[in-house]
Amino acid sequence: MPAPFEARNIGKDFDWALFAAALALALIGLTEIYSATMNLPSDVSFMKQAIFVGAGIALMFIVASVDYHSISEHIPWLYLGSLAVLIYTPLAARKIAGARSWIDLGPVSIQPSEMIKMVVIVAMARYLSDLHIKGYLTFNQILKAGVICGVPMGLILLQPDMGTALSYLPILGVGLLVRGLRPALIVSVILIVVLVVPVSAFLMSDYLKAHQKERLLTFIDPSRDPHGQGYQVQQSKIAIGSGGLLGKGIFKGSQNQLGFLPARHTDFIFSVVGEELGFVRGILGTLGLFAFVLFRSLHNAQTARDSLGLFIIMGVVGVYFFHMVVNVAMVIGFFPVVGIPLPFLSYGGSSILTAFIGLGLIINVRRRRYVN
Amino acid sequence: MRREELTVLRSRVNVGLYIVAAALMFLVAGFWHFQIAQSSRFVELADKNRFKQIQIVAQRGRILDRENRVLVDNRPSYNVVYVREGARHSLEEIAAFVGPGLGMTYEEMKERVDKSKNEPKFRPIILKEDVDVKDIAFINARKLELRDEVFVDYQPRRKYLEGELAVHAIGYTGEITTEELKNKDPKVYRSGDQIGKVGLEQRYDSILRGKDGYRVVVVDNDQREVQQFGHEDPVGGNDLHTTLDLDLQRAAEAALGDQVGAAVALNPSTGDILVMASKPGFDPNLFATRISASAYQELQRDPRKVFRNRVIQDHYAPGSVFKIFMAAAGLEAGVLDPLDHVNCTGSVTIDGVTKACWKAGGHGTVGLYEAIVNSCNVFFYNVGKKLEITRIADFAKQMGLGSKTNIDLFGEDAGLIPTPDWKAHAYRTRSKAEQKWYGSETIDVSIGQGAVSVTILQAAWAMGGFASGGRLVQPHLVDPTSLDKDGFVVENPKPRNYPIRASTVDIVSKGMWGVVNEGGTGTRASVDGFDVAGKTGTAQVVGKKSYGKAEDSEDHAWFVGFAPYRNPEIVVAAFVEHGGHGGTAAAPVAHAIFDTYYRKKTGQFGSQASGPIAQVKP
Repeated sequence: MPAPFEARNIGKDFDWALFAAALALALIGLTEIYSATMNLPSDVSFMKQAIFVGAGIALMFIVASVDYHSISEHIPWLYLGSLAVLIYTPLAARKIAGARSWIDLGPVSIQPSEMIKMVVIVAMARYLSDLHIKGYLTFNQILKAGVICGVPMGLILLQPDMGTALSYLPILGVGLLVRGLRPALIVSVILIVVLVVPVSAFLMSDYLKAHQKERLLTFIDPSRDPHGQGYQVQQSKIAIGSGGLLGKGIFKGSQNQLGFLPARHTDFIFSVVGEELGFVRGILGTLGLFAFVLFRSLHNAQTARDSLGLFIIMGVVGVYFFHMVVNVAMVIGFFPVVGIPLPFLSYGGSSILTAFIGLGLIINVRRRRYVN
Repeated sequence: MRREELTVLRSRVNVGLYIVAAALMFLVAGFWHFQIAQSSRFVELADKNRFKQIQIVAQRGRILDRENRVLVDNRPSYNVVYVREGARHSLEEIAAFVGPGLGMTYEEMKERVDKSKNEPKFRPIILKEDVDVKDIAFINARKLELRDEVFVDYQPRRKYLEGELAVHAIGYTGEITTEELKNKDPKVYRSGDQIGKVGLEQRYDSILRGKDGYRVVVVDNDQREVQQFGHEDPVGGNDLHTTLDLDLQRAAEAALGDQVGAAVALNPSTGDILVMASKPGFDPNLFATRISASAYQELQRDPRKVFRNRVIQDHYAPGSVFKIFMAAAGLEAGVLDPLDHVNCTGSVTIDGVTKACWKAGGHGTVGLYEAIVNSCNVFFYNVGKKLEITRIADFAKQMGLGSKTNIDLFGEDAGLIPTPDWKAHAYRTRSKAEQKWYGSETIDVSIGQGAVSVTILQAAWAMGGFASGGRLVQPHLVDPTSLDKDGFVVENPKPRNYPIRASTVDIVSKGMWGVVNEGGTGTRASVDGFDVAGKTGTAQVVGKKSYGKAEDSEDHAWFVGFAPYRNPEIVVAAFVEHGGHGGTAAAPVAHAIFDTYYRKKTGQFGSQASGPIAQVKP
């Protein structure tokens, strides 16, 4: 049995390349957060973010050094503790942007629902890897996996925080797909989605009055733009489009500097990247780093020693991928505005810590890929 | 078994590679669309976001009299305006918020906004103009809430220092209407602009208005100015140097008093109009702010037609004034000998129609001189009979009657010199008998009655042309050469000359001198030391009751004269509607003008400047 904690050997077989790519993303994020808030004299977002990046890296090393098998052994308690925190959160939290998702911890406030994702990833990985099946999942098994993911999701929906709750879905989805679903089931799920989404959109548009729709949408996403939903996305598109091939230069984006971009250092940080750095440096550069992180992680999943490690990595990859696609699609108006941050780049302690914890988990699995 | 399980799982992870790659390509394609294919459109939108153009209104040029005394100036004024672009509140919300404070209802605001709804949304729409300090404080105290949707905007307004003095000549400005905007260059004229509506303000609008400047500023999301990007200073309008003489104008209007009438004075050798007075007038300052509908209607409904410039827009029968032109025509045509005498018995029968002289019992035997001095009708009936209508018309037209003088004002009337052709055309829908020209009509025309009609300006102008030996200089309120100096290209036609013998001018002028100075009908126009010559006229009013006063049936009173009677410097036409006899009603008005002119000329007049005297470029 490997020692549970091996800080002395942390440098051994560490995935430095993956870490470097993630760090580069975090630095791009820091630069643009600085750019987005430099005109606000009392704003400390940049400093806070820098501290969180530091803390995240520290957490990453800690997570990477504890053998994931022992994390998995303690996961039931961690999972139950997390549920307790999620129940406690709405009771203790202040209301921010319509949701009670944040808990004040001294000078900072954190969003437990973000970090608990990582607990659910390990819990899900443990359950799925313990099944040891070669064939397809049974209905019972799918249901159990659904409960593991669904309970925390439900608690988060009650806060109500639709965006964060949605970001739990890839843990379940990726887990089930990798574990094995009957092709017929996959096809029918896809068909249902393809049919139900347009029909419900049709019902929404025809049978609901404008204010009813507005109410419903506001319930789903309380942080909805009060100026009308088009405004945020329109300004974001203008920022990105006007950035062009080479961008307007760091600290020189007019949409960013003059404050036309809403939520520009949090959910819309990618539009600042697009405006100031342009298509080549900003978009291809950032998405290229993301591609590297994702492909490298998928490779690490394939080389994992056992299915537990594989499922842990796939859970993290699923969450990264979901966040990246939804956030990036959102800033160019391909997806409705939901409060989903961009991993490593968006301002926010919880988001940064979660992203680095995830990175720690991936590196953890990779380090132990050889049976010793 | 573990090994096989892992192999299956790894193959599924492999699928993930393709999904990630596909998603990334999809996203990159999306950014390609925005940042490369459509980039220029978004660059434009970003610029529109950050740049805001702020108009700086140019000061309108002043209007000065011939001695550079200021007649019209500007004063600072403030409007409450509304900008629709980027507005975060509906007009209802704005009306609820500021309406009570400004004393306006939502409907009033909506009416104003609707009038400008087809204009670009960034143009401010005036909600309330010329607001007072209270309104300014009210709006500025709510700056935070109103942002840049509703704010106080500076706009200089016209100040007519002399009130209604010369109002018909000067005119007034007002906010440009939607109709006017349609026919104007949109680069120069914008909604909310002040524009000359009538008079010189309208005629010389392009010279007076100047060119608005602008500032382009970079604004942030809250429309706060972050920095100035570019600017163009406004270019003030040019001052308009009119030929009007404030002292003479005052004298004329004082003499007209409450009567309905008009007076014009001009220099026949230069075409300079010194006086243009039309009564009753109105205060143009009412229009400098938006005039209320009720106040406007009250002016509109006034039966005395206060808006009409009676000097150029109305025509009247010239009455006996026309005898001067008859005398000149008769002498030139050779049908009248200076030594001819006619016996006036009080009436004469020509072509079977008996026409009376104004003096019952007649003037006895009269020569041309007495006929002019005493305005004998019978004498001129004979001249008319000999000349016949075609020659009368030809001479009259040649002398400047019956067509526009082309003064630099809009809406001039042409007057009418009737001919048989004219009658046939005018009565073309009637019977042949009605279309025929009758000899008795010629007789009417020879004493300035019947169909013949002239404007007051024409009367003065034609008289001046005659007195200057057949030289007609186009009249003007602004000397074209002075505009030329300011760099404006203005048509300045050459004087029109018609052949007339010096002896003719001399003989007729002498008679006119007698009218004023030798106990004739125009004695009241005389000025000691100044050789005033003139002719009275009393135009019969055929249709009665042009407005509901008792003296409506009274004749119109004319006096047209010039001074000095050789080489005249000034021609005056005075007219009083229903004034009765020209010698009693109109001659005193002319006297006031001649008298003031003469006293100024001889240094006996202390020119009064009520307002400031303009500093003028050398």
